[in-house]
Amino acid sequence: MSQRLREHAEHQYAEELRALARQDTRPRPSGWLLSPWAVATYILGGTLDDGTVIEPKYIGSRRVIEIAIATLATDRGLLLIGLPGTAKSWVSEHLAAAISGDSTMLIQGTAGTSEESIRYGWNYARLLADGPSAAAMVASPLMRAMQDGKIARVEELTRIPAEVQDTLITILSEKTLPIPELNSEVQAVKGFNLIATANDRDRGVNDLSSALKRRFNTVVLPLPDTIDEEVSIVQRRVASLGAALELPAEAPALSEIRRIVTVFRELRGGQTADGKTKLKSPSGTLSTAEAISVVNSGLALAAHFGDGVMRADDAASGLVGAVIKDPVQDRLVWQEYLETVVKERDGWKDLYRACREH
Amino acid sequence: MSSHHIFGIRHHGPGSARSLRKALEDLAPDAVLVEGPPDAEPVLPLLAHPEMRPPVALLVYAADQPRDAVFYPFATFSPEWQAISYGLGRGLPVRMMDLPQWHQLGQNKDQADGAELEDSDPQPSALSPQPSQDPMGWLAQAAGFSDGERWWEQMVEQRRDSADIFAAILEAMAALRAESPPPEPSEARREAWMRKTIRTALGEGFTRVAVVCGAWHGPALIDLGDRKGDAALLKGLPKTKTAATWAPWTYGRLSYASGYGAGISSPGWYDHLWAHEEQVTVRWMTRVARLLRGQDLDGSAAHAIEAVRLAESLAALRGHPLPGLDELNEASRAVFCFGGDAPMRLIHDQLIVGERMGAVPDETPSVPLQQDLQREQRRLRLAPEATWRDIDLDLRKPFDLERSHLLRRLGLLGIAWGQLQSGGGTGTFREVWRIEWRPDLAVALIEAGIWGNTLRDAARARALDAAERAADLPDLVGIVNQVLLADLPDAVPALMAWLQERSARTADVAQLMDALVREDRLTRSSLVASLRYGGVRNTDTAAIAQVVDGIVLRVCIGLPGACSSLNDDAAGAMFGRVVAVAAALRLLQQPEHLEAWHQSLLRVADLGAVHGLVGGRCCRLLLDAGAIDAEEAARRVGLAISQATAPAHAAAWVEGLLKDSGAIVLHDDLLWGILDGWVASLTPDLFLQTLPLIRRTFATFAPAERRQMGERARRGAASGPASPRADDDDIDAARAEAVLPLVGRLLGFIEGGRFIEGGRFIEGGHKARPDTLIH
Repeated sequence: MSQRLREHAEHQYAEELRALARQDTRPRPSGWLLSPWAVATYILGGTLDDGTVIEPKYIGSRRVIEIAIATLATDRGLLLIGLPGTAKSWVSEHLAAAISGDSTMLIQGTAGTSEESIRYGWNYARLLADGPSAAAMVASPLMRAMQDGKIARVEELTRIPAEVQDTLITILSEKTLPIPELNSEVQAVKGFNLIATANDRDRGVNDLSSALKRRFNTVVLPLPDTIDEEVSIVQRRVASLGAALELPAEAPALSEIRRIVTVFRELRGGQTADGKTKLKSPSGTLSTAEAISVVNSGLALAAHFGDGVMRADDAASGLVGAVIKDPVQDRLVWQEYLETVVKERDGWKDLYRACREH
Repeated sequence: MSSHHIFGIRHHGPGSARSLRKALEDLAPDAVLVEGPPDAEPVLPLLAHPEMRPPVALLVYAADQPRDAVFYPFATFSPEWQAISYGLGRGLPVRMMDLPQWHQLGQNKDQADGAELEDSDPQPSALSPQPSQDPMGWLAQAAGFSDGERWWEQMVEQRRDSADIFAAILEAMAALRAESPPPEPSEARREAWMRKTIRTALGEGFTRVAVVCGAWHGPALIDLGDRKGDAALLKGLPKTKTAATWAPWTYGRLSYASGYGAGISSPGWYDHLWAHEEQVTVRWMTRVARLLRGQDLDGSAAHAIEAVRLAESLAALRGHPLPGLDELNEASRAVFCFGGDAPMRLIHDQLIVGERMGAVPDETPSVPLQQDLQREQRRLRLAPEATWRDIDLDLRKPFDLERSHLLRRLGLLGIAWGQLQSGGGTGTFREVWRIEWRPDLAVALIEAGIWGNTLRDAARARALDAAERAADLPDLVGIVNQVLLADLPDAVPALMAWLQERSARTADVAQLMDALVREDRLTRSSLVASLRYGGVRNTDTAAIAQVVDGIVLRVCIGLPGACSSLNDDAAGAMFGRVVAVAAALRLLQQPEHLEAWHQSLLRVADLGAVHGLVGGRCCRLLLDAGAIDAEEAARRVGLAISQATAPAHAAAWVEGLLKDSGAIVLHDDLLWGILDGWVASLTPDLFLQTLPLIRRTFATFAPAERRQMGERARRGAASGPASPRADDDDIDAARAEAVLPLVGRLLGFIEGGRFIEGGRFIEGGHKARPDTLIH
């Protein structure tokens, strides 16, 4: 087993990608390692003709993924929007892995992201010694993706200052990156495209200019529709993370996951699952990703400090931490939920007691 | 040799219609039979009239019971429409071959069940869990599609040309029907009638008969042999006299969302498919872009280009030859709408469903009431339109007044063409109506035909009928108000007699009070308002005055009894009524009313068992009206809040006295003086005891008011703000009148030719609002 904490998608699922490429007879857009159909199968899962089982990477609407793939096939930029924890980055990583076989051309958007990190920077020692030259240039992941004809990814696009964002306009529309210092340019090779992700809640941080917006196709990743879908997402991710972390604990019981997911969904939706009682919603987003980390930390607690089986006690601390983001407001919400819902529910007594102690 | 040719179609399918048109041209039949009601044959030729614009619906109704009606909606892309217009255009005999409604509507009556009406709708495409009802669903499932609509669209609607398609459909349906249980009796009868009609046509010597029917019926019409069996099926059917006509329809009503829907969710899209054989996707995206641009949203040609590319690659990804509506919508959402829903709703309403409304020629037979309405609409220049618009009526103008009457008469008949909008200002001479003509109003209009042949007669008859069945007094008053505002004076005497009788028999004073003042939802007017402002609307007020007199008298007599022994809720309601009646009587300004009212209030105030809330307000009303003086009022305040009174009662009393009048306490010297004097007279101990009771009321005043009260109390009674309550004698009548002409012109009075009564402002200084001046 590899010593790395987390493998890139193209390494972790290398076997699946190879199988898909072998079986894939449909036309591939130039620069793509797989045909759009095969990419869809890679993301959504399925069984190939030779019996290879492709694990689903994204559980949810097939249409969303199809739109995303079709967008990339038309060489338009893809903008994935959604609440935190709706698998935006996850989908973009796997799309890049399946299409280009390389998900590492990544720019993390922050308030401090500068134009150099999107275009190119300079090795100042060489710049001073030799003057501007191709050798003195430090290419950004985006520039490398253009040169190699691969998918580049920009995470949290709306966190990047507006004037820096607009650097992307030329790249997206002309598919070139001018280098005035050398009086040259980098022209994108076929296969290049850009996947950006942005957070719904952050829309106001640095809203996209309409010129930039126009160059993206927007796909909204929804929260999971049904509780079963969400339980299945949590279960799969926990299993794969648990394997990576080599936790000695047993896989958590489905009922325990379902309970945590229920708590998350109820608090997020502002009403109980049966639709009978209204609830206050806490300030956090309570995304599926957070549910995954609650189960994971519960699992770790059970493995290292408990008997290896995840119980209410192990889940409780993570649960409380995930719900209570604001120490005053959210604590009230949580107390109310505990007393009115958790306490009364059949078979939830252990969870109630465990949460009370935290 | 078979000399009839069966064309199984999907109702309202543009692809079907196109294939059918082509197949008919190839076949060149000498007669056309269409699945539809034979009742409609007399009005069928109108279809070719140049003024006939689909979408329209054939309406077949029982002549003596217009409520019993069936609609057959058609759009230009309906295959039936195309078949009929093909036949009419070439002068061929066109016949309807479905089981006539004169038999079916009869059945409905026998079963006394509205559900049958749904069945008689000739739409096998309306999805149903029963496999026999949804043949396409089964075929689609077999082909791996999620639902029948999609499958049919892929396989048939999006095909451009192929006459073989009808042979294939017939074969598929035959296979499907072989697997299905035998048709229901009603279904079997319909098919028997179709066969009978085909036999008749062949018997008349036509050699190439085109038979256009829903795909499902096709296989049943191939073999015409069983003459006897059909005759047995059709024996002894009940019979009713029916009439048929055309009614305008809208795309909105063709869609799933509405009652008589034809079961297609996207008429606008089908229209688009029908209108444009080529460049469907490009034209559609261009329309989306133009629509969004029109609404000041981003929608450039560049957007349209990208949306077309995305839609096409999505279709390719899914293995479809052309993008369907799903692909187009997903592309629009990703490219134009940035993933948002709001612009998509706009696209859905305006493009996918569409707002097109049909029109029928003037020669279309109509029921007499319809004709009367059309005359009125022309005379008053109110055209029926599918989209809503607001009209602003100035009731001082005779023309606008008549428009208001028309809308209100329609309202009485249950035809809600216009909705009275709120916020038309305080004046009652102005009304804002939102009018929107929906095709179901045509249905309601035909239904209303049973009440009379003109709007006026029908509205009167309907109102009298409703009044007779009115449950209680306020309901009756509501009807009276509607009748008064709809200018139906012939109905007034009878209504007033009933009102008089009902109010005489009513023991419930609360109901009587409601009858006086409650504004009903439809007219936003009360009996008192009708009496007071009747002049503006030219209503005859003498009869109302008589009834109001009677009611006021009964209220005044019954009020003390009605106010005793109330619990908190009942007292709250009574408080509201007392306030409303007091305001109404102030408005009427009838000395005899006011005198009786004040006497009555005094008796209530003196009542031992009265709830504090009501008692306090009575005292206040008496004080305001000058029926008791300040000293008497102060005595009553002291009495009500004395130590022996139960605290809850005392608190309620203060609340009744002062509720909602923080500003008045502040500015009314008289009231202020009474309160101030009373508080000052309390000993420190007593003050402490009383404080919580008073605080309960004062806490409801706005903080700013409370602060001002505190400041004023600190300054002492003498230095209060200048009193706005000037004595009547202080008014210099000559100077006041000098401004009246200008005020009159500002308020639009001079035009109305009326002037403020007596040339004097109405009493009460600050209480006179502009609207009291106007009327």
